Amino acid sequence: MTARLLAGLAAAALLPALLALLPVLHLAPNRLVTGAPVMASDALGAWLWPVVALAALGPALLVAGRGRASATLAGLACLTALALLLLGLGTGAAELIADKPPATRARLASGAWIGLIILAGVSALAAGRTRLPGAGFTAAAALAAVVAGLWRIGSLDALSLAVELRIRSDSLGAALRAHLALTFGALGLAACITGGLALCRRGRGAVDLAVSGVQVVPAVALLGGLVAAISALLAAAPALRGYGISALGSGPALLGIAAYLLLPLWRGQEAARRATGPDKVDAARALGLTAGQILTTIRLPLGAPLLVGGLRVAVVQALGLATLGALVGAGGLGTLVFDGMAQFAPDLILLGALPIIVLALAAEGALGSLEAALRRRWPR
Amino acid sequence: MRPVPPALGPLLLGSVLAAASHPAVATRLGGGSAQHPLATGRLVALALNHLVLAATGLAIVAVLGIGLGLIATRPRFAAFRPGIDSLAALAQAVPPVVVVALALPVLGFGGPPTLLALVAYGIMPTLRGTVGALDAVTAEARESAQALGLTPAQILASIELPLAAAGLVDTLRTALVLAVSVAAVGALAGASTLGTPIVAGLQNQNIVAMLQGALATASLAFLGDAVLLALGARLRRA
Repeated sequence: MTARLLAGLAAAALLPALLALLPVLHLAPNRLVTGAPVMASDALGAWLWPVVALAALGPALLVAGRGRASATLAGLACLTALALLLLGLGTGAAELIADKPPATRARLASGAWIGLIILAGVSALAAGRTRLPGAGFTAAAALAAVVAGLWRIGSLDALSLAVELRIRSDSLGAALRAHLALTFGALGLAACITGGLALCRRGRGAVDLAVSGVQVVPAVALLGGLVAAISALLAAAPALRGYGISALGSGPALLGIAAYLLLPLWRGQEAARRATGPDKVDAARALGLTAGQILTTIRLPLGAPLLVGGLRVAVVQALGLATLGALVGAGGLGTLVFDGMAQFAPDLILLGALPIIVLALAAEGALGSLEAALRRRWPR
Repeated sequence: MRPVPPALGPLLLGSVLAAASHPAVATRLGGGSAQHPLATGRLVALALNHLVLAATGLAIVAVLGIGLGLIATRPRFAAFRPGIDSLAALAQAVPPVVVVALALPVLGFGGPPTLLALVAYGIMPTLRGTVGALDAVTAEARESAQALGLTPAQILASIELPLAAAGLVDTLRTALVLAVSVAAVGALAGASTLGTPIVAGLQNQNIVAMLQGALATASLAFLGDAVLLALGARLRRA
């Protein structure tokens, strides 16, 4: 009991201590320099104490309490604290840059980022602890609604990231579309190859060796090697250019990304194939089921969670690898990240990086819960 | 007839790739004569840099990942296991190039952001692999050691670690491949590794240098894998 209480007190102290020690904003004269740190007490104004109180309450309840009620309360406290923290940061930033030259930027600093990540993480943990169906999804939707609502009423406009977003909203949209096109294009390509390989009855060992061998090759090297190989091919046979083949662009990116997706898809497919033992197939055949019926009533239900598991790993990997597509001129969110790195502009890097992280987390969460739901639906 | 050692394949592949990254060979493979291949000395210097960066990262990842894995498998910390699994899945969702990019404004150009990305990306798979390897040690083995009167520390040192050694080496192989790969990505943050000629070559259309960098990076990954495979085979025999 005492240990639980002490742990709860420690959890309560974490976020207030963080807000007291680390700066929440950086006030910089332009978008390329770091600027001067601003502490929470100066930035948040009247929002400081509600945020501190809720940020202490939420984690403490989650650690010290047990049961659904305390978990629900903890989740709500964290979500409210997160909303108020964002609101306070937005208002504080607007006040800080109000009488400054237009190039002045108020950028979220380490304290704000760590605080927001911890609050979001604790909300997710609390949602899991409630053990209610769809709690995780509700928490994620509430989080998205909070950010979208604050964005809509304009309370985040003064933050540097929002300024950068307004400047780049067109290129961000295009980059996002290109990123998704790369991801799903590569996924489709890899799925077709895996499907084709799965039909072969022989040489499974060789396929296994080849797809694991690809994983050893670093992604940057594979992409560079593909570009070099296609250039050499085009130099040897210039007529191929007529067919729209070029050494740079989405071609090498799609091939390179798809090569890495073969392993998770192949492993998932193999595990799903093995999930149905010969005894089950024999029993079904003895009952007079046709091959098609065996596939739909026995093989698919037993293998579905494993297939989705492979797909989940592949989608998350594809979203990350598509970032490197920008290196070979295939576009995607990597363009923003690499532009930001070249200009040393932190907000531009974040503008590219945040959507990648959000997409990957969303894919992981959605396909992970689909996998769990399939397992519950057809227990082995 | 003796069985073929498992390290032979990666070793041969790595050596062939290393040979192919030699300026003379790569120029021929690249097809053009108007290109500027990297001199052997420069390639070796980059490879050494790459190796040092990857090895430092691997050492940190191995110590932290295996150490935390050992702690997580003690019965006292069993409550944290589901948390570790979901944390591992979440950590994998952030790609290394994004970690490098995010660390850039904080840590500056060069090795530090690369090292941070390497540790951030490598630690959770290593932790998870360690937990998996130790879980594979059967309860019977542990219980009989307990019945013999061994202390928990003795059980760990003389039963659990030797039985889990093969699994631990496999975990380290994954970590090594990640380390070599992230060190190559580090070239984007200005770390001078074998990724540098690839990134530079893409920018100024130097196909041969790009090919050399790609072949040498892949060769390094396969050679490192071969070393760990040989180590694993030796541990399995012992």
